[in-house]
Amino acid sequence: MTATAQRVPTYCYQCVAGPDLLTVKVVDGVATEVEPNFCAAEIHPGGGKVCVKAYGLIQKTYHPGRVLTPMKRTNPRKGRGEDPGFVPISWDEAFDLVAGKLNAIRASGLLDESGYPRVAATFGGGGTPQSYMGTLPAFLAAWGPIDMGFGSGQGVKCYHSEHLYGEFWHRAFIVAPDTPRTEYLISCGANVEASGGVVGVWRHANARVRGMKRVQVEPHLSVTGACSAEWLPIRPKTDAAFLFALLNVLLAAPRERLDLPFLGERTASPYLVGPNGYYLRDPASRKPLVFDAAVGAAVAFDAPAGAPALEGRYSVDAIEVGPDDAVLASGRLEGATAFTLMAEHLASCTPEWAEAICEVPAARIRRIAGEYLDHARVGETIDVDGVTLPFRPVAVSLGKTVNNGWGSYECCWARTMLAALVGALEVPGGTIGTTVRLNRPHNDRLKSVKPGPDGFMDYALNPTDKARWSPRPNIRNAYRTMVPLAADGPWSQALGPTHFSWMFLDETPAGLPRVTPPEVWFVYRSNPAISFWDTPSVQAKMARFPFVVAFAFTRDETNHFADVLLPDAGDLESLQLIRIGGTKYVEQFWTHQGYALRQPAVAPQGEARDFTDIATELAHRCGLSREYVGAINRGVAAVPLKGPGWNFELDPGTRHSTEAIWDALCKAASAELTGGAESHGLDWWKAHGFLARPHPQLDWYLYPTLAAKGLRFELPYQERLKRVGAELGARLHENGMRWWDRQLEEYRALPAWKDFPALWEEALREDGHDPAAYPFWLLTARSMQYAWGGNVGMQMIKEVADNVAGHRGVIVNGGVARRLGIEDGDEIEIAAPHRATRGRAVVREGIRPDTLLAIGQFDHWATPFAKDFGNPSLNTLATMSLALTDATGSGADIVRVTIRRANAVGHATRGRAA
Amino acid sequence: MRKAVDYGARPWQQTHWDARAAANFVCGGMGCGLVVAAALSGAEGVARVAPVVAGLALVASGLIAVFFEIGRPLRAVNVLFNPRTSWMSREALVAPLLVAAALAGATGRAPFLALAALLALVYAYCQGRMLAAAKGIPAWRAPLVPVLLVATGIAEGFGLWHVVAAFTGARAPWLAVAFGALLIARIVVYRRYRQGLGHALHRDAVAALDRAGRVLLWGGTLAPLALVALAAVLPGGPWLAAAGGLAAAAAGARLKATLVLRAGQNQGFAIAHLPVRGVRT
Amino acid sequence: MTRWAMVADLRRCVGCQTCTAACKHANATPPGVQWRRVLDMEVGEYPDVKRAFVPVGCQHCDDPPCMDVCPTTATKKRDDGIVTIDYDLCIGCAYCSVACPYQARFKTPRAAFAYGGEPAPHEAARHDPARIAVATKCTFCVERIDRGTAEGRTPGVDPEATPACVNACISQALAFGDLDDPSSNVSQLLRHNRHFRMHEELGTGPRFYYLWDRD
Repeated sequence: MTATAQRVPTYCYQCVAGPDLLTVKVVDGVATEVEPNFCAAEIHPGGGKVCVKAYGLIQKTYHPGRVLTPMKRTNPRKGRGEDPGFVPISWDEAFDLVAGKLNAIRASGLLDESGYPRVAATFGGGGTPQSYMGTLPAFLAAWGPIDMGFGSGQGVKCYHSEHLYGEFWHRAFIVAPDTPRTEYLISCGANVEASGGVVGVWRHANARVRGMKRVQVEPHLSVTGACSAEWLPIRPKTDAAFLFALLNVLLAAPRERLDLPFLGERTASPYLVGPNGYYLRDPASRKPLVFDAAVGAAVAFDAPAGAPALEGRYSVDAIEVGPDDAVLASGRLEGATAFTLMAEHLASCTPEWAEAICEVPAARIRRIAGEYLDHARVGETIDVDGVTLPFRPVAVSLGKTVNNGWGSYECCWARTMLAALVGALEVPGGTIGTTVRLNRPHNDRLKSVKPGPDGFMDYALNPTDKARWSPRPNIRNAYRTMVPLAADGPWSQALGPTHFSWMFLDETPAGLPRVTPPEVWFVYRSNPAISFWDTPSVQAKMARFPFVVAFAFTRDETNHFADVLLPDAGDLESLQLIRIGGTKYVEQFWTHQGYALRQPAVAPQGEARDFTDIATELAHRCGLSREYVGAINRGVAAVPLKGPGWNFELDPGTRHSTEAIWDALCKAASAELTGGAESHGLDWWKAHGFLARPHPQLDWYLYPTLAAKGLRFELPYQERLKRVGAELGARLHENGMRWWDRQLEEYRALPAWKDFPALWEEALREDGHDPAAYPFWLLTARSMQYAWGGNVGMQMIKEVADNVAGHRGVIVNGGVARRLGIEDGDEIEIAAPHRATRGRAVVREGIRPDTLLAIGQFDHWATPFAKDFGNPSLNTLATMSLALTDATGSGADIVRVTIRRANAVGHATRGRAA
Repeated sequence: MRKAVDYGARPWQQTHWDARAAANFVCGGMGCGLVVAAALSGAEGVARVAPVVAGLALVASGLIAVFFEIGRPLRAVNVLFNPRTSWMSREALVAPLLVAAALAGATGRAPFLALAALLALVYAYCQGRMLAAAKGIPAWRAPLVPVLLVATGIAEGFGLWHVVAAFTGARAPWLAVAFGALLIARIVVYRRYRQGLGHALHRDAVAALDRAGRVLLWGGTLAPLALVALAAVLPGGPWLAAAGGLAAAAAGARLKATLVLRAGQNQGFAIAHLPVRGVRT
Repeated sequence: MTRWAMVADLRRCVGCQTCTAACKHANATPPGVQWRRVLDMEVGEYPDVKRAFVPVGCQHCDDPPCMDVCPTTATKKRDDGIVTIDYDLCIGCAYCSVACPYQARFKTPRAAFAYGGEPAPHEAARHDPARIAVATKCTFCVERIDRGTAEGRTPGVDPEATPACVNACISQALAFGDLDDPSSNVSQLLRHNRHFRMHEELGTGPRFYYLWDRD
């Protein structure tokens, strides 16, 4: 190595499967190569490596299309066909423009006439931009109310229902198998080999070689399906039927095969349910009752150990409390155990029943359920960090389109019950959670476990009682009003129905304050004009926003509507710390935890500035410097600057340089990790890249914490959600809001199969179209190479991604293609009722005849390089639809379409599915 | 259902050698054949010089074409460095010898013409072996490719001799008979070669080759045979023979060009076993 | 003796192209040139379909067809098995490219950059005119191997001495090492797993082994 070549350690958090660690080789001030950070191999569960995306960072840094100076719009008209007329301006002028608008807002009031924040901000990628925006979070915290609910896909296109129900049931914002120990995994659409990142791929490759069997249940043979032992081409949106049938088979087996102690002690299976569907409660204490077979009477659920009956119906003296504290019944009431109700509920969901719905043969469903049960090892134990835990090496994972939109509640519940029946929930080998984002603290889900009502974990549901529910939401997507499960923490805005903000701009439904455009809209690392649904409509709405500030990498379809473009220093050009380790989505399970530094490998190109510089200047110009520094001190940027025995707080009355800020944060981070013993500053962190301390593997599992606190998993019966739903319904109706009634039906204590595919057909009929004319299910799937979007302009990424099938068009089944006269590479038109798009046909066998697959999100028209791909996008064809929104406010990436050859002359052969 | 072994990412037509490389095989072979025909014709004067020069011109044009195809033409002399194993080096070594012998022979020294004929055969053989050594292209690496290339080169050359003869007035009836025999030999060799390929070829290669094969049979064998037979009995015989010769040469050229540019699919990739993903199913 | 070989575990490979990208970084190959890449192979008819991801590149054959046909002796094989190209001897005739049954060789006719026109700083820094209009291919990162062994490191074990693709692989599908060392990683992998080589019937003797099952 020559004297002028160095390897600069940094992190990559371009997608939520990270962060991962890398080094950048810099020769004479030029970044030339990306390499793994082998110094981190001991602690990083992916050998210190990064995935293909990180290798695009060099081209990203030197992209010829980069916006390298601030720019302002000179053409006042906004529209897809209007050239914005961006001209370069100085940073000073740019700050004047932005701060001018912001200060005008501060003067007139932070909330507008509807009560919504006048300032909105959209950041993309599941929170990943936060690790690239320096101390901007501190500025945002200093500002006050901001509407962060204008979605670019978050909350609705992600694992949305899994986020909410997962956290509710087992503090699992994302659910993962305990891959290093799992022996049998049923994966319904979880495309971990494409979306699981370095660590997911690493773990699953090891598991495969070790002999873990994964059954991939998915309408197309994804990369993950390819790497699985078995592929079941399930009919889209019928996974709930499949999962219910698995439960049915497990419940038909001899009871001893299930984990009866787990069910009896760690779940609410023995709780008695009354005639109105609510728990039977002790009249005095109001505690839910169980029937103690040993004493032959009902006792409170937390009575000293007796023999609570898992099954049966019992007459007991009780009260039944319904919504709004109403006592619905009292006296001698008949109660059935929750387990009994569940078993009866699933009795008709046989594999034969499921086969007719999901097209997976009944015999295969039976066999898979049997294999799952066989591998569950009920009764076995394992030692983890010196503690004996149940060992249950079976798991079920769900992916997008299964765990969002209609049917996702049912799938999430069924998956969690599959784990619970064999005691495989939150134990080694089983189905476990990764982290929390709705409960706190975010970096330690075990600490977020606090006792709540009825022996379950506490959960800060948004209120539905008369006193505290309000039809005046704090932001435009109305999550606090509409979605109790979204809670009300810093992440809740992005986990509400983030398409509502866009939809309601046209017409706000009854009862909600009129949705207004924000006066200032910040966008960073997000391209809603490409990545959300009904993209042409979203673009038209953006055009109505009066002032858009886009932190811009290159020109793109969203910043096309901006008023000011600001060039932030890129991934390899700026300073930030990120937490690493512990446990975190998607499969990031470490035996260490700590922090990693992102540092400039090269000087920023052009006039690009470190985001911390930008945030500090904005705070200064808005007169918020004290609050801004105060927020940094509190830990909004990475880590609190003060701890027991150390204080690196910055003086709120002084202006601090970016280096000084991060030097203080570095010192605090090392103090936190060493209990105050060390306090390494920025120079040390630049040299070393990261610092970590051990994190016990025991902490991967929630079960020990739950058991230690004497709490139960709130399963199988969703009494609390049933009550909350009834209350929400009452509140909405009292307020004249009946447009959420269909969603209210989802608040069932025991989720049931509905004809979910038919909902999409119904939606077509309601719009006056014949579903038979749109016979194909258009789906999308993750591309590791492109996700999460910031890579579309990278030539090398396109070059290597083209090696993976499907990246050049839309995947069509071979038999269907032949029937329609379509050959591989032919240009085809893909049409939904209101809109069509074009792409090339990629003819493959690994896809259902009634399914089409458009990988990734394309249809670019402004982003350099990407706009010439000619790749279509599902987003162009998808609508934003209330009818297709579920109770938690999510939808799914699935659209009914038809196809034909684009250059067909005369009579076109309209597509017919098999 | 695809065949058991070929799980491959599909073969594709090679693009390393383009029309310029094809020209080398096309012109080289027929040029050599022309020199051989000239040597055997026993003609004198212009009737001898013309075909020899034409033949050399064809050989040279092929080499000039590849000169413009290679990436580093200024280093072209390096092509001579590996006669130990490379048929391209050997071809390059024979070329100047062939030119020298042929020029000497053209000026009247009979032994040199015979030597030139021999070197021409060697040159054509080198070209055939060149193609056959390309292990990456199934249609080229067949054992009969060298014989095929020599056979068609000679047949084309004999055909072109009749074209030149129509202008120079040269007469060699027995050459016409030899030409006919060569046509038959060529089609026989081609058929054996084609059969030997079996099912190893990509279907696009098969389609292209079979089209060229049909042209070789009808336009390149039967039609010239008929024309040459008619030339023996009809007035204007030399021109009929010339037409037949041209057709034979064109068909051979088409075959060689097809081989290089349309039937030159590589064999793609294949894995002998699919991986076991966790458990054997 | 040393006999370098690459082992690709098809059970592990997910087709992510991280190795493809890492190779491009390490070797600064021009657009379109992928000395290492991963194929996406599908076999069967719906619904009985299988899909595999197969890393390919120069196999550094025992009996390389490219070496035999090369007219300039630019292509040679070292004692340790690595097949090398002397770019200064090569005339760019592409004979080796048609001779290679693994489509492993590339030729870039003129300097080309990712976004056309001008090179970006990193491209300018690493552009090598010697590699224009001549044959190029995977070299098993021979410079890394030679520098590493000179420093006492073990190729395939120490990252500094190991090919970039092996270093980068996120599923640990690729391994590199000395076949003549029975305790090397590749020797052990081959001993304990079922494997095959590609196009073996052609007699090329490839040094690239594909694992597909445990033994």
